[in-house]
Order: sequence, then C-alpha cells, then structure tokens
Amino acid sequence: MVETGIPKLDEFLNGGIPKGKSLIYYIQPGVEGEVFGMQTVYNALKKGGNCVLVVSSTIPDILKGQFKEFGWDIQPYVNRLFCVDAYNPLIGAPSNEKYIVSNPDNIEGFNKIIIGLIKELPPSTIVFGSLSTIMDLCGEKETIEAVREWNKMAMLYDHIMVYNFTAWPYSEETLKLIKGELFNAVISIGGIAERVIFGQYFGILKSDWAKEIKKSMLFRVLRPGGIKLYIPKILVTGPFDSGKSTFVHALSTRAISVDRLGTTIAMDHGHVDYKGFSADIFGTPGQERFDPIIKLLSGESMGVFLIVDSTNPTDFIRAKQMLEITKSYGLPYVVVANKQDLPGALTPEEIRSQFNLPEDVPIVPAVAKDRKGVFEAFEVLIDKITGGT
Amino acid sequence: MSDYTLGIKEIDAAIGGIRKGSNIMLIGPPMSGKEVILYYIMYYGAAKNENAVITVTTRESATNILEWFKDHKLALPLSRIGIVDCVTKTLGGAAVENENIKIASSPVDLTGIGVKISQFFEEYYMKKNIRKTQLHINSLSTILMYSNIQTVFRFLHVFTGRIKATGALGVYTIESGMHDEQSIATLKQLFDGMIEIKSENDKNFIRVVGLSPKPTPWFEYEIEGADVKIIGRK
Repeated sequence: MVETGIPKLDEFLNGGIPKGKSLIYYIQPGVEGEVFGMQTVYNALKKGGNCVLVVSSTIPDILKGQFKEFGWDIQPYVNRLFCVDAYNPLIGAPSNEKYIVSNPDNIEGFNKIIIGLIKELPPSTIVFGSLSTIMDLCGEKETIEAVREWNKMAMLYDHIMVYNFTAWPYSEETLKLIKGELFNAVISIGGIAERVIFGQYFGILKSDWAKEIKKSMLFRVLRPGGIKLYIPKILVTGPFDSGKSTFVHALSTRAISVDRLGTTIAMDHGHVDYKGFSADIFGTPGQERFDPIIKLLSGESMGVFLIVDSTNPTDFIRAKQMLEITKSYGLPYVVVANKQDLPGALTPEEIRSQFNLPEDVPIVPAVAKDRKGVFEAFEVLIDKITGGT
Repeated sequence: MSDYTLGIKEIDAAIGGIRKGSNIMLIGPPMSGKEVILYYIMYYGAAKNENAVITVTTRESATNILEWFKDHKLALPLSRIGIVDCVTKTLGGAAVENENIKIASSPVDLTGIGVKISQFFEEYYMKKNIRKTQLHINSLSTILMYSNIQTVFRFLHVFTGRIKATGALGVYTIESGMHDEQSIATLKQLFDGMIEIKSENDKNFIRVVGLSPKPTPWFEYEIEGADVKIIGRK
C-alpha cells in the first residue's frame, strides 16, 4: 500500500493505493490538478519507496525544480527517483536522463521504455506527469491500448500506476473509458465555476478496493505546502422575516444566531454535514441597513440560498435587490420558496414568473420550520457548485 | 453593442465595436507589425478602457514585454495586467512569478498554461471585481509547432468557451503562410471574426472580417514607435 499523501484521500481509499493497482487524477482543464501526481511522488519517496516520473510536457529538471516550490525536498531521495524524459527529444534537445523516449510522438517509443521499466525495477510507484500530453502526441486509441497493457503488466510486477490526466474535450468514447474500466480508481478534480473558476474540489469517482465514498473536498494549492483542504462558506440571504434563521437552524447540525428582539442583527452561523459535503453556513440579516454585511460575506462564499416568503410577493423586489448584491460576485444560487404550508403561498412557478427568474434558476419549495425542503435545496446548490459531478 | 474596442479609431468606427464574448484571430505575415498591433490593443484595453488584460506569450519573455512598454513610455496599469510566460523557463532563465507574471513550464504544457489563465481570470473577476477581461494569446503558431492541430483545437475549444461564458474578449495571433489551409480553416470555426493583415509592395494593410455585416475596407497602416497609424484606405 502506498499513500497518495493527499489529505483525506488516503482515508477514503482505506489507507492508500494497494500494490498492482492503477489510479488516475482526472482533471478539469484550468484546475490546478497536476500537483496531485507530484504530491504522490513526494510522499512515496518520503516513505522509502521507489518512484518513476514520466515527464512529457516540460524539461525534467524544471519539473524537479517545481517540487521545491511546494517545499518538498527530493534531494535525499534522488537515488530512488527515476525520470523518464519524453520532452527533450520532442523539441530536439539533448537529455541527461537515463531513460529517454526518443520518439515521444509514437506510442511504441513509450511502450518500450515503460514495459522495460516495469520488468526491470523492484515494485515502484510509476507516475505520469501528463497522460493527456502523451494522448495528444500519440493518439487517443493508441494511448488507451498502451495504458491497458501497462496497467496489466504493473499488476503482475506489483507496481502502482498513477496518472495525471487533463480532461480536454477528447472523444466521448475515450473519456468514458478513462472514467470507467481503464483504471482501478478515478479521482475527479474539478473547479467550481460560475463564469470563472473560483474554487477547486476533488472526489472519488470510482475505486474498486475501497468502499465508494461520495464526498467532495474543497482544496487550495499552497506554495509551499501543496494540497490543503478547507471548509467552504455558504450564504443564506433574503428579505426581513422570510425565515433565514429558521432555515440555517433547520439545515445545520449546530447553529447559533446573533439576535435582538427575535430578528437577526449580525448573522446566523451553522455547520452542515450532509451526504459527504460539509460547509459553514452564514445567514445575513434581512434589513437594508445591514447590506454591507452581505457584501462582506459574499466575497468569501461558494454559493447562495435566497430565502423568500412565498406568501409575501411585495417582498420580492427586496429579494431581487439582495440577489443582485450577491450575484455581482458571480456566485451560484438557489431560491428557496419558504412558508409553503401557509394559506396563499405561491407555487415555485408563480414565484418564477413574478420574480421574472430565468428557467435555469432552481426554485425549491420548503417549510423551513418543519425542515421540509431544506436538504433538497442544499443538494441542488451543491450540484450547482460542483457542476453535478 | 460596443463592449470592447481595439483603440484604432478608424477600425472601431467601421465595425462599431466588439460584442462581449467574442473570439478573434489576428492573422498576418511575419514582420508586418502584428506584435505591435497586439501590444497596442493591450495598452488601449488596459489603460483607456480599464479592462484587465491577460497575455499568454510564447515568443517574448514577460519581462521583455513589460520593458517594451517602458521603453515606449507607455504606463501600463499593472494591477490589471497579467502575463503567462511560456518562454523563460525553457530558456533556462531565472523565472520568478509575481502579481503580473505567471510562469508556465513550456509551450507544450497546455494544461499548465490553462491553469495560469484561469488563475488570472479568477483574480480579476472575483477578487478585483473587474468585469471586462481581454485574453491575448501570442502566438498560436508557436503552440502549433509543438502540438498538433487537434490538441490546439481542444485547448482553444475550452478557452474560447470560457471567453464566451465570461463575456470577455479573446485575441489570438497566428502567422499566415506558416500553416496549411486546412489547419487555419479548422481553427476558424472557433472564432467570431478575424483581424487580417497583409503586406503588398512594402505597404501594410489591415481589415476586420466577421465582426460587422460586411468586411471593413483594407486600411493602410504604419507603425511609428508604439503607435499604429491608419494612413489611407485601399
């Protein structure tokens, strides 16, 4: 068993990657995911293992230098780290490495070196810096067939195979194979995007040795430090008396509110842990004079619940105004149509037309005081935040 | 309509400005002053229109680009300037990242380039609250020297899509005469319009195609220092 070194991931994988298994980091373009492979290399070396690093998108020395940026000193382990240089021959430059793929645009060149290493080296962790680059150069089908073979051979010789893969828009068939049968485990690394990517997360898409845990963890990449997890903030906003505090308390495993005469004047705070996703929940006050607090909290949030009182359409103008404040930060949001149990409550569709909301904005009916609809709303928002993956 | 302008007033007037979310190819022969035109659009966008400008450079180092502006006495508003440098590291130079410069490991490393672009986008959009961003890639020709056309197409497919979603403006330079017709035609599918440059009898001409109902006329231009001057039309 080799640990990936990624916080929480080893726990989800029952301790790490068992010998003979393959794992792919499946990275959405634009998300800083290649550090996952590097962290795994460093961790394997630190724990005394042998490592092979297949470098195809830059000069091996540059990649080795990047370890330093993360504060990982690989110098003491260089005798256990073997680099396969598949970059210098591509640009016609000489290579100092022992293992060189002389024709990096032909999969046979890779096959010869990789299979040779698999047979020659004691059980090692073999990490591909960028499988997508190999695929770009050698073709999708050819690369997939080769990977199938490498994984099979690695199983026989007790190596662990780890791949970084950027999921550019390749053919659907290729992406399906990669997410499906080709590897023993698939770790999906994605970005939270609403116009721009502003947060990153990873989760286990598949693993055939650990019980599947549907859990997404948000992370930041620190230099030095590497991958660090953090807990996201979710904002609950809405007009006065729409039921924000009730919603925060209904959703949270623990919550407190700063109130005066029964209305929130500073904020509500709660923490939710539901279906593998945990978040801190912040409720804003509804009155206009507290709007600066909404702005303050919006800047750091991942998503927004807008709570409206379904029986009180006169408040929708104010609700829309509050939405504008948070929308200007480009955050994903869900409208919660609260107080559905009261007579005269408008249906979500009536609210949509009165509010003039586009079809793609989810409106979830709820009765916060009975905890009805609150978790459904949470799931819808999480789907929006993580793009449903 | 005119969410973005190029800063060359005769051309802006002829096309009536550029709609947000547009992706434009800037194509022309070597030595025709494409780079200066791109720098001109960069300066105008950042200094006059107060947009954020992200430049991916595969030809000049980021430091050289910033020096070029200094040499021409143009004060770039640095808080809105981001450069993804794909040159310095491969040349073995000292590569230090700062607020304005991010270093990609090579022009082959499209994944890394993509990450750096996204980071600048996040910085300007989320942290600095700037709503208009220009992404300039200079040049696709270098990227095409290292990666095949399908690879570059996939990369651009992702990023032209992001430009549309963010309401930004994308400008991508490419050398004419260096790639086969089919490659150019493949890439053209991703763009809304083209700024075309040609040289004839030692004279340079520029026109814009696809951003207005009819192509603009060919304008003759001259480059004086950092200035692009229209001196006539064909």
